Amino acid sequence: MNRAKAIRGEEDRAALSRSASVESELEHVLATEEELIPSSGFLASVMERVQEEAARPAPIPFPWKRAVPGILAVAGVVAWGAVDLIRSGVAQPGIAAPSWLALVPPHLSAAAVLPVESAGWVALALGASLASWLLSRRLAGRGGLL
Amino acid sequence: MKAPTSADADLAAVERVLAGDVTAFEEIVRRWQAPLVNMAWRYCRDRGRAEQMAQDAFVRAWRGLAHWRRESSFSSWLFALAANVYRSELKRFPTETLPLDAAPEPSRPASQHNEAERRERCEVVRRAVLALPPRYREPVILFYFHEMDLAAAARSLGLPEGTLKARLSRARALLRQRFPHLNEERAAIESSALVTGKEAAQ
Repeated sequence: MNRAKAIRGEEDRAALSRSASVESELEHVLATEEELIPSSGFLASVMERVQEEAARPAPIPFPWKRAVPGILAVAGVVAWGAVDLIRSGVAQPGIAAPSWLALVPPHLSAAAVLPVESAGWVALALGASLASWLLSRRLAGRGGLL
Repeated sequence: MKAPTSADADLAAVERVLAGDVTAFEEIVRRWQAPLVNMAWRYCRDRGRAEQMAQDAFVRAWRGLAHWRRESSFSSWLFALAANVYRSELKRFPTETLPLDAAPEPSRPASQHNEAERRERCEVVRRAVLALPPRYREPVILFYFHEMDLAAAARSLGLPEGTLKARLSRARALLRQRFPHLNEERAAIESSALVTGKEAAQ
């Protein structure tokens, strides 16, 4: 029994020492790497690319100040559209209304079912087109309607 | 790999570049070209590609020089940036590597008698590093690139030292499994070198 234990112990020690020696060889192989010397034209080619970069005009920053109103308007329209879509879905029988819809003023719900609803959408689209046209003219530096 | 560097010289060159002197960047490239090319080489083991990747890293450094916060040394910033560039480059166009299990086993000790064979075997082991899963590959590359400086490798990777240590240990275990006879080979080389030496002496 003791002999078997001793043999097992020796085997374990041998395996451990083998593993340690493989590890040290791995360390040796990975740590001893020959050094590459960059080719003679490397510095010149890097500097050529850097000079090209330096000669390039600086990128125009995105005009956040001017874009924010437009982004907000679009977000508003999308949100309104989503609410409207859900409300029209709710109007169908058998679909439960989400509780937060109760917070929407009742006149909106009345407007949603008016027959002139499609005319409203057309007006909104025309308004948005006009606004974007005016904005683009303004950004291009031209004032007025024409 | 230790770079012939002086933090003050780097800082002065960076200040000049930021003041509009493009040629001052040449000084930086001259000082750091060898480390960056060697680092790239360890990522791809292709000389031409390594130079291309190092060039991209320098151009990226040029663009981002103004973003270098002086909290860390210039070299730490540059190595971390280069590691990012190399990582994304290899993600776009991976190197052709065999899976770790399919990497050729180095020849057995009986046939190991010359330097060329020994080099070839070492190269097989180094290439096997590229076949490791990415989370273990990069720690191995950067740890040995930084001459086993754990802190420097952790800075380049942006990882805590403990995490890096754990990944290195797992990577070594994978490599040990792949090359279980590595120590025997070395012993054979050393004994064959000893015999050759003795014969030459006689």
